[in-house]
Amino acid sequence: MTYQISFRNEGEMPDLPVSSGTTLYNTTGTWRYVRPVYRNKTSPCNVACPAGEDIAQYLGLVAKGKYQEARLRILEENPFPGVCGRVCPHPCESECNRAELGGSISIHMVERFLADLAGGAPVQRLPSNAPAGATVAIVGSGPAGLSCAYQLARRGYPVTVFEAWDDLGGTMRLGIPAYRLPRHVLDAEIAAIARLGVEMCTGRRLGDNLSTADLRAFSAVFLAVGQQKSRALEVAGEDAQGVVAGLDFLRRVNLGMPVEVGARVAVVGGGNTAMDAARAALRLGAQTVTVLYRRSRYEMPAIAEEVQEAQDEGICFEFLTTPVRVLTEDGAIRGLQCVRMQLGAPDGTGRRRPEPLAGSEYTLNVDVLIPALGQEADLAFLEHWAGGGLAQTLSMANGLLETDAAAQSSQTGIFVGGDSATGFGTVAHAVGSGKRAALAIDRYLHGEDLNGFPALDQHVHAAPRDLDPAVVRFADLNLAYFEELPRPEPKQRPAIERKRDFAEVTDGLDEQQVQQEAHRCFSCGTCNGCDTCWLYCPDVSISRVDHSDYQVNYDYCKGCGICAQECPRRAIVMEEELKWKK
Amino acid sequence: MSYDVSESELLASGHVACPGCGAPMAVRYALKALGENTVLIVVASCWSIIAGPFPYTAAQVPLLHTLFATGGSVASGVKAGLEARGLQDTTVLTLAGDGGTFDIGIQALSAAVERNEDFIYMCYDNEAYMNTGIQRSSATPWGAWTTTTPVKHPKDQPKKDMVAIMAAHRIPYTATATIAYPEDLIRKVQKAKSIRGSKFLHVLAPCPSGWKSEPSQSVLLSRLAVESCIFPLYEVEHGEEYRITVWPKARVPVQKYLRLQGRFAHLRDEDIGRIQENVDDEWQKLVTRSDRAKAPGNVDQAF
Ligand SMILES: Cc1cc2nc3c(=O)[nH]c(=O)nc-3n(C[C@H](O)[C@H](O)[C@H](O)COP(=O)(O)OP(=O)(O)OC[C@H]3O[C@@H](n4cnc5c(N)ncnc54)[C@H](O)[C@@H]3O)c2cc1C
Ligand code: SF4
Ligand code: SF4
Ligand code: SF4
Repeated sequence: MTYQISFRNEGEMPDLPVSSGTTLYNTTGTWRYVRPVYRNKTSPCNVACPAGEDIAQYLGLVAKGKYQEARLRILEENPFPGVCGRVCPHPCESECNRAELGGSISIHMVERFLADLAGGAPVQRLPSNAPAGATVAIVGSGPAGLSCAYQLARRGYPVTVFEAWDDLGGTMRLGIPAYRLPRHVLDAEIAAIARLGVEMCTGRRLGDNLSTADLRAFSAVFLAVGQQKSRALEVAGEDAQGVVAGLDFLRRVNLGMPVEVGARVAVVGGGNTAMDAARAALRLGAQTVTVLYRRSRYEMPAIAEEVQEAQDEGICFEFLTTPVRVLTEDGAIRGLQCVRMQLGAPDGTGRRRPEPLAGSEYTLNVDVLIPALGQEADLAFLEHWAGGGLAQTLSMANGLLETDAAAQSSQTGIFVGGDSATGFGTVAHAVGSGKRAALAIDRYLHGEDLNGFPALDQHVHAAPRDLDPAVVRFADLNLAYFEELPRPEPKQRPAIERKRDFAEVTDGLDEQQVQQEAHRCFSCGTCNGCDTCWLYCPDVSISRVDHSDYQVNYDYCKGCGICAQECPRRAIVMEEELKWKK
Repeated sequence: MSYDVSESELLASGHVACPGCGAPMAVRYALKALGENTVLIVVASCWSIIAGPFPYTAAQVPLLHTLFATGGSVASGVKAGLEARGLQDTTVLTLAGDGGTFDIGIQALSAAVERNEDFIYMCYDNEAYMNTGIQRSSATPWGAWTTTTPVKHPKDQPKKDMVAIMAAHRIPYTATATIAYPEDLIRKVQKAKSIRGSKFLHVLAPCPSGWKSEPSQSVLLSRLAVESCIFPLYEVEHGEEYRITVWPKARVPVQKYLRLQGRFAHLRDEDIGRIQENVDDEWQKLVTRSDRAKAPGNVDQAF
């Protein structure tokens, strides 16, 4: 279309100088030496999510009321939004830019809201991609194993999961108590994975009634056996009756087996297992529960909220103390001898090393002692490994199975992940690890190269969006567009009531609060159709359809850069024209 | 977030304003507010160029180019002509720069509004004669560099208070607006349209060439002018009722606004201090004069 008007002679010209066309004839785009380009960038929350969720995008969908789309978007990456929405320590929120203006977005609560929606569509299968005859065995039904099974089954692979216990879910079921993670939530999410056709074989323990020879029948194997061994207290008398390791204690509680707690319970340790054991013991009727920790509260590895909740429920904390001997009577525990500690010089982890204070020993009356000093991988099955038709055993690194960025072990075709290989220690990390293995196995079974996976501390995406890897930080945002707004806090059942049972402690947010969060989100780096660029373009050079599909008309854009400067979330970059001319 | 702004687009691309110019933005928003039934009178100014050469026009409504001194009189005549043809509803919008308003056009403007002619006069103020080569006008602020007020002798007179002059005519509606606040601008134009008689809009429109500022920062500067209270957004009805329409979210020091512009680069800290004092005084006066009902608590503090 031409906008040019030409008069061939004077006669064709009007008597008065009247315009007969628009300035569209004048393609002012030729003036430009930089051009605006729509390019979504990465949000800090997306980078921080170990399960690789596309938070910025799904919060945008929530803001538009598209709950099911948002839910499916999470499910692309993580089959456990209901679990993670409850128990994940949400590193995404620690990185959230909103923290500086009213409090970080309650991302996990939005995730939980979406997961809990009734009538959700089942997760979509992807077009089958599996080479004929390829089969995959997965050992361990924790979040790593199930995430791997899920991603492979969606891609059409026949997958068999072997689990030592009779119940599926790994530490999500055996470790985390129901007052933090109601079992119907976990059951529903596992059932959705099973519905994809994953074969679940429970009661099969590798090294026991499952052999490496059995695994040889599969084209690829993923080992995700977690960390099931409690670290020992290493003091005299710890094999007395009434001393029960934290993991064993929780496993019994969680599987509904009978447990004796007595009146006075002492828990040793400062991590999540200690908190869960203490709070579970309280719920089973213990009169006093005391947590002993050898450093100060400041150094506790447990999630801060959990420590607070435990304290609210009446759990006592004794810091800077450690047991030195279990006092016994007829083979049963009667008390605990402890010594006070003081913090000395920083150790290898940067935390100050606790040292015993001479002469500060004291005794505590205790009926049940629960050491919860941390977990280790139980890799006993490796002893029989090489015999099962495999040439050599798997290599270890720092007490864990050795892994590379593509989740490969030291043996071709054997992939490893989750806590038994990475040791990261959260459900979300395990989900990410299982997904990484699934993507690697998919490539392996197609005979493709396994290079190019991001490092283990970076996260993988099953359905990546086209994003510039540059991360949008708080200082990058255009703050003129945002106001301080408070973060809604969920309701909790009163401590006095909740400490009597295993019903869920924390409520979800209601729809209005979830909307508030989705609207409070800056959508860092991701265009959310706010129209700001369209509105301010002095050259009327930006078009869009219904708040999406923004396009710059390069015939007229002069490259002033106002759109990029004003975009509240930095979804536009200015690029040199020379680069585009090439 | 989304804006309450009409989809109608009566300004065409291809106009010849410099990149990042505020003037076409002001007109784009005004035309969104007024719609097609509008006649534009363009007084000699940047817009005489921006609108494009014969036989083209950037405005999709009738546009009449006229002389520097005639913004008020031509509008009066055009309005009378429209009324004679029975076109009562057609809005006449005069578009003039600060030179054509504060200096050369003030006589005809004063006369027209004194007669309370039914038209909107929109002055897009870029604070100097820009397209002729950045000569000072009576709208140029104190301390600014222009080619006729060089760095050795920057402008030594304060900016003329044009809104006060218009308010003193007791016309039905006078208001300030600026391009960083399109919704406010559009609302004011619509309000002006709904009132019979003379309406005056004073629109601050950054000029990257004359302000020696980044083209990309025109909206930012316009916003900072408001947030620093150098250019408050308010309206005056019948010369009496003052109302602040956009309260600064958080008052910023004038320095933030001034230091982004090369035309103020020579200012010493004490000069900026003087400007700040003056701005604080004027803002206090405005706040006192205006309906304070809607004043948020935190904006009164001075720097
Ligand atoms: C008490 C406790 C509380 C926790 N709380 C949280 C929390 O709030 N939030 C959070 O994010 N993380 C929490 N974690 C950590 C989280 O549960 C783990 O990081 C995560 O479950 C690891 O997943 P995984 O799949 O690697 O291993 P696991 O979940 O441990 O699953 C491993 C599975 O492999 C099975 N298995 C082991 N050996 C064999 C074998 N030889 N043959 C067959 N099957 C075998 C196990 O029975 C188990 O089912 C907690 C952990 C504990 C112990
Ligand atoms: S504001 Fe939204 S997009 Fe930005 S970091 Fe927080 S949750 Fe992510
Ligand atoms: S200004 Fe708004 S609409 Fe434009 S790119 Fe940025 S987020 Fe998208
Ligand atoms: S605001 Fe308009 S003219 Fe300026 S760079 Fe963006 S698209 Fe181009």
